[in-house]
Amino acid sequence: QEAAKYDKKVMVLDFVTPTPLGTSWGLGGTCVNVGCIPKKLMHQAALLGQALQDARKFGWQFTEEVKHNWMTMTESVQNYIGSLNWGYRVALREKKVTYENAYGEFVGPHTVKATNKRGVEKLYTAKRFLIATGERPRYLGIPGDKEYCISSDDLFSLPYCPGKTLVVGASYVALECAGFLAGLGLDVTVMVRSILLRGFDQDIASKIGEYMEEHGINFIKQFVPIKVEQIEEGTPGRLKVTAQSTVGNQIIEGEYNTVLLAIGRDACTRKIGLDKVGVKINEKTGKIPVNDEEQTNVPYIYAIGDILQDKLELTPVAIQAGRLLIRRLYGGATTKCDYVNVPTTVFTPLEYGACGYSEERAVEEFGEENIEVYHSYFWPLEWTVPSRDNNKCYAKIICNIKDNERVIGFHVLGPNAGEVTQGFAAAIKCGMTKEQLDGTIGIHPVCAEV
Amino acid sequence: MGWEEKQVRGYGEFAETAQRCHGRPIFALFCGDKDAAGRSWCPDCVTAEPIVRKELHNMPDGSVFIYCLVGDRAYWKDPNNEFRKNLKLTGVPTLLKYGTPQKLVEEECFKAELVRMLFTED
Repeated sequence: QEAAKYDKKVMVLDFVTPTPLGTSWGLGGTCVNVGCIPKKLMHQAALLGQALQDARKFGWQFTEEVKHNWMTMTESVQNYIGSLNWGYRVALREKKVTYENAYGEFVGPHTVKATNKRGVEKLYTAKRFLIATGERPRYLGIPGDKEYCISSDDLFSLPYCPGKTLVVGASYVALECAGFLAGLGLDVTVMVRSILLRGFDQDIASKIGEYMEEHGINFIKQFVPIKVEQIEEGTPGRLKVTAQSTVGNQIIEGEYNTVLLAIGRDACTRKIGLDKVGVKINEKTGKIPVNDEEQTNVPYIYAIGDILQDKLELTPVAIQAGRLLIRRLYGGATTKCDYVNVPTTVFTPLEYGACGYSEERAVEEFGEENIEVYHSYFWPLEWTVPSRDNNKCYAKIICNIKDNERVIGFHVLGPNAGEVTQGFAAAIKCGMTKEQLDGTIGIHPVCAEV
Repeated sequence: MGWEEKQVRGYGEFAETAQRCHGRPIFALFCGDKDAAGRSWCPDCVTAEPIVRKELHNMPDGSVFIYCLVGDRAYWKDPNNEFRKNLKLTGVPTLLKYGTPQKLVEEECFKAELVRMLFTED
């Protein structure tokens, strides 16, 4: 849409290869269809369940038992996503961007072949190309994985309640999904190979894990599935999972209605003909290295989003990078995308917002003696009356002593973490120091004042 | 096989007709009532109608096109009218594909390209 503003002739090729189970979706990419949007809505559904429990302590009286209907929630979520898909179609049309629901691949210099779902092929040439093909969930590569397991691609439109679920993985995707499924009243187990939330502050990661365990989610640690078999067909059916310990020879078995794989995502760069135009990719990870202007080693081909090597995999980062790139190419701008100090939030049952360095990374980069960590547990006022945990919410900031005690890391674990973190991210971008932070009077009574 | 048009007035007639045509693609255009001279109180509806009608041949075979007059201006302005409540309509004219989130509202209906896209979109 940005390029069309500069009167460029633009075409978008978007195609979703269905999952092993046949799931597919409309225009908008992962975030809109099988990522952030449905995830946050389902997380909200789970939070509302909790709120209903708290409500009684605040004086609301209702005698009926509160139950959750998976189909009602899923239909509403999918309906909303459908309106977004349609909205994008209308927006592209209005801005005169040509959209084809076809699978694009390079076949030669400046040329792509687009194949639609009926197998009809068309060739298109262009002056410049932007690759933003994103990633798809990885499968385990064990017997029964593609036939019987689902991934996040399938979960958000699953036409039946998943029932007793085994979530394999300890990524934020795994923990967020396990979190809301449990919040909706399902029996959830998480099977973890080694650590939780690799890449995130580990002190916080373990607090998140603890909270989830104390709130009814089972964790099986240091095991990996080696086989999935079907005991009974159905919606959902019954599956038997055999798993092996990573630190010994122990084998365990378990029965579940659904097995959700969330062990990582792989870049969609292997089957789009990059070799035909000479674009270099990291053979091991599939990611594309680019310079700080999002340009690949082939000057007329650019790339943005999750497929980039060594860059954050977040929707707003991709959007920002894309917009700035177009402004540089056609609008005479020079601003490059700033990948530093990007705030993020993990929507686990106890939400986690962060911006900047984790404690480990700060120690690694600046040395333990040069950083100071200030931290505090807090008890949200809203949790007092319903007697919810008083020692779980937590906040910490990491400061660089050598640089005026500049705040280089912000971490908060508690309700509305995303909303809280956004403001502090702006402050960190401005180079806020501990003194300035101390000098800012708090809003009372809110969690953020801590 | 082509397509057929059904003209209805008011929410009750609309709902009944849509129900009877269940299983076929249903497109609906909602406009303000017309006076004795055939002119609607809604100027945007007057503009949109011919544009939409010109694109009707793009609808898939077997489609039903429901042309629905919603009522007079006072009825429409009431925030609790049945069209607002049950179909979530926010303005007239509205052209929509029944049972999906796909719709075009007000000035969007003036664009032949968008109308065509609504009729032919998968």
